[in-house]
Amino acid sequence: MHQCNCENPLLPTIVEVVDIKDETSDVKSFYVKSEEGVPFNVMPGQLAMVSLIPVGEGMFSVSWQEEQEYLQFAIKRVGLMTDELHKIEVGQKIGVRGPYGNGFPVEDCQGKDMLFIAGGIGLAPLRSFIKYCFKHREDYGKIQILYGSRSYDDLCFKDELFEKWPQEKDTEVYVTIDNAEEGWDGHVGFVPSYLEELNPNPAGKIAVTCGPPIMIKFVLQALEKMGYSDEQVITTLEMRMKCGIGKCGRCNIGSQYICLDGPVFNLAQLRELPPEW
Amino acid sequence: MQILNKNKLKAALNKLAETADVFVPAARGENSGFYSWKTFDQEKDELMLEALNVYLPPKNVLFPQTERMYSFQEEGSGVVIKESFEDSSPTVIFGARACDVAAIDCFDDVFLTRGYEDTFYKSRRDNTTIIANACYQPGPNCFCASMGVNPTDPATADIIIRDTGEDYVWEARTEKGTALTQKIADLLENKEVKIPELQAFSKNVEYDGVAAKLKGMFEHPIWDKLSEACQTCGICTYVCPSCYCFDIQVKSFGEEGYRFRCYDSCMYREYSQMAGGHNPREDAKERFRNRFLHKLEFFQERYGKPLCVGCGRCIVACPAGISITEIIKEIKEA
Repeated sequence: MHQCNCENPLLPTIVEVVDIKDETSDVKSFYVKSEEGVPFNVMPGQLAMVSLIPVGEGMFSVSWQEEQEYLQFAIKRVGLMTDELHKIEVGQKIGVRGPYGNGFPVEDCQGKDMLFIAGGIGLAPLRSFIKYCFKHREDYGKIQILYGSRSYDDLCFKDELFEKWPQEKDTEVYVTIDNAEEGWDGHVGFVPSYLEELNPNPAGKIAVTCGPPIMIKFVLQALEKMGYSDEQVITTLEMRMKCGIGKCGRCNIGSQYICLDGPVFNLAQLRELPPEW
Repeated sequence: MQILNKNKLKAALNKLAETADVFVPAARGENSGFYSWKTFDQEKDELMLEALNVYLPPKNVLFPQTERMYSFQEEGSGVVIKESFEDSSPTVIFGARACDVAAIDCFDDVFLTRGYEDTFYKSRRDNTTIIANACYQPGPNCFCASMGVNPTDPATADIIIRDTGEDYVWEARTEKGTALTQKIADLLENKEVKIPELQAFSKNVEYDGVAAKLKGMFEHPIWDKLSEACQTCGICTYVCPSCYCFDIQVKSFGEEGYRFRCYDSCMYREYSQMAGGHNPREDAKERFRNRFLHKLEFFQERYGKPLCVGCGRCIVACPAGISITEIIKEIKEA
């Protein structure tokens, strides 16, 4: 699992940005391709270090690998490096190294009903698992997706949310925005309260959540209240990272390195760690 | 047994320096550390083979404070990686103490195990021979034995030398050590000498049980008290032989540049500051706690040993007078 495709795991592979798509006003999807197709194969939930070589490196969840065609990264503009990344154009060469981390337990979840709960850019890592479930549809039961953002504009992957995913077999998609706005006739309110309203039965189900820390906190509380056990709840964590291979130190929570031992943990595992997540 | 008479020490260092960069413990100006024999000034510098300990550990030899990783060149919207700087030049650390050798063992655990080998470290490590200087007279801040280090027998050294007063007993322990010994074979003699006895430590601390006890102490109020004097200057992490955290940064000039890594410190706010604004260790207390838990609990959990080798350097260097042995004692008593 922890294998890099290059001899020196800290050296990036140069790839070309073949497409860029605006997801929201501050999130763009970057589609990258190497000469061979993809620079490495990625499992849902795994990470990769993306570098605008002369500027900086940043760790991102791979939001999808399309066969041997491309890797997709949905990246929000939040700091120095992502500001610069949002300025590049198609044809730009950038660096990637990885894949890093454990990824989602796609096999352990086989035969289960899946409940995905995401907020904001937190849908980007979950999307790789959601699309994986659709690709291997017969391996999973009912799929429910609950997603919320501050506003309509802040919703990522709109075509999938509103067009593609609701068409999938035995799938329900619930979308909410924080505050009412003109033209929006869907649900209004925060993700955790919408979750409580929907009250999905925990029997035979795995809940996977990612979003801002405050959302995760209340989602976990809501799931506990609904009767989900700690083993039924999975999340993916984020910490500052530099090396990606468990050496540079900073992404630790207790004795675990998020880049190497994570980023995916179930709640039972997280409760063993100091409350720094 | 084989011995090197102290009168032949400089001849031996000169000989070793013909085929390797040899780092020796030395005082240079107000500082002391492991400096290259090539740059050793016979008039101004002073060899410090008796000191326990020199101010800076030998970690910079295997893990430089700043290290270029690779260079690149931009060409329009393209970019190429020009060169990766893996350093495989032959190197010798002469006179490392048992604590420093134990710290290198910790580095080996971090950089060479758990799924990935750090190529830059491995290249240096494979080409470095360690000559350890066994300790018999612990210094005022030494407490290595309390941390599970045997001062007279640094097990993983390639060669061990033992100071008997007039001579060094010279014992090669590995193939690398034997190969290096052959280079100075004509300077060694066979002679039976008396090996000194280990004297008592003036600093002792009871580490047994600390890691297990700390597991339940994350939220303990003791961290407020212990961390209060800390100014988060990070000097403890720079002088520590076993602190290995690093940052990766880039230097660009026009269309070319290089990516490098350098020491980082868990005592700094930026260490865990995320781009979106969140920082899991925003406060000094949180960073202080993470450092000592890493040393005394987390590393033990992950690698089966503490990340403190009892060299005492942080106790000497800390401007606030914070002492890890006192912290261990307070944890024991809490």
